[in-house]
Amino acid sequence: MSEQFKPNIVAFLCNWCTYAGADLAGTSRIQYPANVKIIRVMCSGRVNPLYVVNALQQGADGVLISGCHPGDCHYMEGNYYARRRLKLLKELLEFTGVDPRRFNMSWVSASEGHKWKEVVEKAVEDAIAAGPFDQFRRRQIGW
Amino acid sequence: MDLDKLRKTAAEVVSRDDVKYLIGWRRGTFGYRVAPHFIEDAAGVDELIFSPLCIANLANYLTLTEKLPVPRGQEADTRKVALLVKGCDSRAVAQLIVEKGIKREDVVVIGMPCPGMIDWKLLAERYPETDVAAEIGWKGEDFLLVRGEEEITIPRAEVLAEKCRLCRHPNPVLSDITIGEAVEPWAVAEDSGVAEIEAKETAERWDYWEEQFSKCIRCYSCRNACPLCYCEDCILDRLDPIWVNRAVNFSENTAFHLARAFHLAGRCVECGECERVCPVGIPLGKLNRKLARTVREEYGFEPGLDPEAEPFQASFKPDDPEEFIL
Repeated sequence: MSEQFKPNIVAFLCNWCTYAGADLAGTSRIQYPANVKIIRVMCSGRVNPLYVVNALQQGADGVLISGCHPGDCHYMEGNYYARRRLKLLKELLEFTGVDPRRFNMSWVSASEGHKWKEVVEKAVEDAIAAGPFDQFRRRQIGW
Repeated sequence: MDLDKLRKTAAEVVSRDDVKYLIGWRRGTFGYRVAPHFIEDAAGVDELIFSPLCIANLANYLTLTEKLPVPRGQEADTRKVALLVKGCDSRAVAQLIVEKGIKREDVVVIGMPCPGMIDWKLLAERYPETDVAAEIGWKGEDFLLVRGEEEITIPRAEVLAEKCRLCRHPNPVLSDITIGEAVEPWAVAEDSGVAEIEAKETAERWDYWEEQFSKCIRCYSCRNACPLCYCEDCILDRLDPIWVNRAVNFSENTAFHLARAFHLAGRCVECGECERVCPVGIPLGKLNRKLARTVREEYGFEPGLDPEAEPFQASFKPDDPEEFIL
């Protein structure tokens, strides 16, 4: 490869913490890799695990899910459910042979702009190490 | 197994005014096949059997029953359904009650401690099916095949179904009537099928499942046979949004199998129906057992043991494991 591989990372961020945290990173002029495509959801508990499967099918090389720290959820307990669910999804993806580095989850609060930067750097680094993920691409029907 | 006692109890149960019908097993049309048997009156109990071939989980029929609208001026039929269950089937019933898929008062559970079932495909490999009607029963630890003049003792390890080899709950976890003596749970070895895959490299695992999922013809038998896949509005049938495309190719098949396995995470009672009915032989049980093991070992939860429990994915503990979170 002449050019370095630029991974495509889809990030599902909770509206109340991580999205605000990413916003803070922006307004604070913190430099972080531009490989993440952010999708704002109301809560990390709103992330249906099939979103992750779908993102991987549609060309994402990695998926990042981030929400409030446990106990800080705007809806009291959404992130606790997300934690259980996504742990199982992670196990399932790993078992079926998806590189575990393609799936990252983090807690980033609205004041943690710097942590957001570190999380993104880690996710990008992981996705580069895992390489492009073409095997699972949705096949285009050409007619 | 005391068949007379089973038939007598069944006859008593179906004669009750508050019981609509009883679901059990009867001999199939050929060879080792066994079919579900719906008994509406005491005359039907003569065909009822319970043998090591009664591997099918009948709990599925509780939610499969069509609920037609009640015509005006008529009362809804609120009678109960009686069901014969083994250990694993009773867990499915308990899990259905947990999820409010059925009501406890709507079923009469007739529990039968299960000494282990035969995988009839393994049996047919060793002793091909013939026109002569075969009787199969338990004989101590092993199985006894009686076919005309022949009497063959088959060692347990040779034909025991995989799910039974890994079974930890052979006795019904809930029952209104129990027939037969409780059996001693047997020692369960490590799940070699799952461990084998876990031992592989990530890329090798992907290749393994690629080979398996590519075989899938998307008949959805696994979903239909599963006692716990009973959503009226299944994501696989939805057109808006289309969660999983209908095209039969590797990508969509994988998405489908991930979705199916995930929807059973923390719910699967390991009755093995999905794998048993799969026409192309995808080892779906491994996916389910892997997740069931994670839930059991890391969260200390086993579905279908307590009808009063909270559903796994709809509950949480503040100290759930989170070492994977950055």
